[in-house]
Amino acid sequence: MAEPAAALNPGVASGVGSADSSLLFRSRVLLLTGKGGTGKTTLAAATARFAAAQGRKTLLCELDNQRPSLTAIFGKVPTYEPQRVESGAPTGAGSRAAAALSICNIEWMPALDDWLADLVGVGRIVRMIMKNRMISIFLEAAPGARDLMLLHRVVRLAEQFDLVVVDMPASGNAAGMLSVVSTARRLFDSGPIRRCAEEIDAMLRRPDTNLVVVSLPEEMVVNETMETRARIAAEVPGLRQPLVLLNRATPASLTPGEQELLSRLDQADVGSEARELVEAGLWEERLERATAEALTRLRGDAGRSGPSVVVLPVLGRGEGAAKVVGQLTAALARQSRARVDLVGEVVR
Amino acid sequence: MKPPSPLIALANGQRLLVCVGSGGVGKTTTAASIGLWAALSGRRVLVLTIDPARRLANSLGLSEIGNTEVRIPLERLLGDGAAQTKGELWAMMLDPKSTLDDVISKVAKDARTRDAIFQNRIYRSIAGSFSGSQEYMATERLYDVYGSGRYDLIVLDTPPVKNALDFLEAPGRLARFLDRQVMKWFLTSEEDGPFGKRLMLSTSAVVYRLLGHIFGKDFLAELSVFFTLFRDLYDGMRERHEAVSRIFGDAATTFVVVSAPNEPSVDVANFFLQELRSRKLRIGAVVVNQLHRARLLNPDVDALLGRKAREIMPDLAPQMLARLGAAHRRLRELTALEAHWVRHLANEAAGVPMVEIDRQSGEVHDLAGLLSLHDWLFAKGTDV
Repeated sequence: MAEPAAALNPGVASGVGSADSSLLFRSRVLLLTGKGGTGKTTLAAATARFAAAQGRKTLLCELDNQRPSLTAIFGKVPTYEPQRVESGAPTGAGSRAAAALSICNIEWMPALDDWLADLVGVGRIVRMIMKNRMISIFLEAAPGARDLMLLHRVVRLAEQFDLVVVDMPASGNAAGMLSVVSTARRLFDSGPIRRCAEEIDAMLRRPDTNLVVVSLPEEMVVNETMETRARIAAEVPGLRQPLVLLNRATPASLTPGEQELLSRLDQADVGSEARELVEAGLWEERLERATAEALTRLRGDAGRSGPSVVVLPVLGRGEGAAKVVGQLTAALARQSRARVDLVGEVVR
Repeated sequence: MKPPSPLIALANGQRLLVCVGSGGVGKTTTAASIGLWAALSGRRVLVLTIDPARRLANSLGLSEIGNTEVRIPLERLLGDGAAQTKGELWAMMLDPKSTLDDVISKVAKDARTRDAIFQNRIYRSIAGSFSGSQEYMATERLYDVYGSGRYDLIVLDTPPVKNALDFLEAPGRLARFLDRQVMKWFLTSEEDGPFGKRLMLSTSAVVYRLLGHIFGKDFLAELSVFFTLFRDLYDGMRERHEAVSRIFGDAATTFVVVSAPNEPSVDVANFFLQELRSRKLRIGAVVVNQLHRARLLNPDVDALLGRKAREIMPDLAPQMLARLGAAHRRLRELTALEAHWVRHLANEAAGVPMVEIDRQSGEVHDLAGLLSLHDWLFAKGTDV
C-alpha cells in the first residue's frame, strides 16, 4: 500500500537535514520515551535491529508491560529472561557480521526476586520473604519500589550486552520512573535500597547512557517533548539527552514558485473536484510546514547545548509492525555517518 | 436517514460526561466543545481538564491557574445575545501537586496533624510522584465540584492513560497503600507505640528485621510516624473513594470514548470500551476525530486543473500537476487506511453510536474553533 520511502520523502531518505543516527548504536544503555502514539516502541525495535546489524550484541526490553508490544513485531512474547530473536549470522562475504538481537519484558516480581536473591544470597530466605503477605503488600505499595527494581534489572542486563535499548513508559510516566532514584536517595540514608538507587544513578550518569525522546511534527507532541526533556533534565541532571527522534516527518520539498502556484490555485474558482486536488496539495504543504516548525522548536529548545534531531519519514501506512520496523531500520542506517567494524569499535 | 447525534441528549440530560481515549486524539478539544454546546443551550457547565494545548488554554483563560474554576466569557462569541443566555461555561485545569495537599487539609483532624504530614519525608515523596497521582487528583477534584451543586453538567477530560482506567483505580491504590492491615501491623495500640508488643511475637520480629535490613531502621521509624498520621485520614479517604465510584456508576454519568482513526488510538479506544463494559459503566458515544477525506477515486488531474494551472504559471504547471496527483494518491491511501480503523472501532463499539469529525485545517485554539466543531459533534450522527 505504501510507496517506498524515497518516493514519499526524498529529502529524508537521503538524510538531508537529519542528524547523525550512529549515536544510537554507540550507546551502551539507550532509554527511549515519548508521548503515546509517537511510535516509540517501533523506533526502539528499529534502533535495536540497527545496532545489532552494526555488530553490537543488543537487548531490547520492555518494562513490566502487561500486554507486551514487542510481540506484534517479533512474533514472540518477550519473557523476563532475554530471548534471542535474531541470531546475528554473518551476512555474506566481505560484510561485517551482525550481532545477535534479544528481547525481554522486565516484569517486576521476578526483578524483585532477583534483587532479593542478590541481597540475601539464600534462596530459602528469599522464598520466605516473597511468601510473607505483609512484606509483599509493603513492597508493592511502597513508593517507587517497583520502578527501582525494574531499573536495577536494567543495570544488571547492561553488564551482559553491548547495548540495552529500553522502551520506557510514555513521557510523564518515564520522568516519574526516573525520579524515584532521587526520591530513594532522599528517603534512604543507607542500606540495600540506597545502594540499589546508587547503582541505577551511576548507570544513568554514564557517558554512554543516553535518553532519547521520540516526537512528531505536531504542536502538542512537540510541547510534550520539550516538557519531558526539561523535566528529566531536572530530575536526573547527569542523564545525557543528545538526540530527539522526529518521527513521521515530511520535509519541505515545495519550491517557492510551487507554493505560490498552489496558493493561487487555492484562491481560484476551480470547481469542487479540482478543489479536492488543491486540498491534497495544501494538506502536504501543511505537513511540510508542521515539520519545519517542529524542527525549529526542537532545535531551538537546544539553545545552549541542545539536541540534534534525527528525522524519520512517514513509513508503512497500513502495513504490519514488523515491516515498518524493517523500513525504519533502513532509514536509520541511511542517516548514520559512522559504522562499527567487526570487533565492534566505532569507525568514523 | 441519519439519527440525531447521541451527544445532544447527553449534553442536555447528564450531570457528568467523562471523555476517555489515548493522548493526541483531541480529547480536550472535544470535551471543551461539548461543554460550550451545553452552556449555549442554557446549562451551567464546568470543563475539568488536565493538559490542554497551550493556545487553547490561553484562549480559555487557563494559562496560569491550577485548581481554580475560571468563567469563560461567552460575550465575544455571542455579542449582545450573551445577556439572554442562562448558560455558563467554566473551566478548571488540574494541578496534581497542590491537590493532595488540599485533600490532606480537608481530612486532617487539625492543623498540627496536617503540618506534621506535610513535613513527613515519606509524604513529601509520594505527594508529587506516586504513580497515578494525576488520575487520583482528577477524581478528588471531581468529588468536590460534583458535590458543590454549582454545575448542571461537568465534562471531565481525563489524562491519557494506556493500560487501564487508572483514574478509576487510583483512589483504590492510595487506599491500598494505607491498607488497614499494613497499618495495624505497624501500629499496635497507642500505648504500645509503634512496633509495640506485637513485634515481640517471633514471626513479626523476623519480618521486621528483614524489612529493617531492606529498608533501613530509620525509614521504618519514619514510616510508622507516617502511618500514625494517616490513621485518622484513612476513613475519610475511603469514603471519598467510594463516593467517586458511585458518581462514575450513576445513571446521570456517561462515558464518551474519543479516538483518532489510527491503529494506536483505536487500540486504546477498544481497550476502554472493553474495560467500561466489564465495569458496567455507561458508554454514550464514540467520537472519531481527525478524519481525512478524499472522495474522488482517480481524478484526471490535467483535465480538472491543467487549464487553470497553465493560465497562472505555464512553466510550473506540469510538475505541479504531477505533484498534486501524487499528493492526492497519498491522501486517498490514508483515507482508505483510516476507514479500515474506523470499521475496526465500529466493530468493537457494537451498537454504541459513533460521531465522526473531519480533521480541521488548523489547530482548534479558540471559542470560535470549538463552536465550529458543533456542526460535527451535534449534527452528524452516523448510521449505527
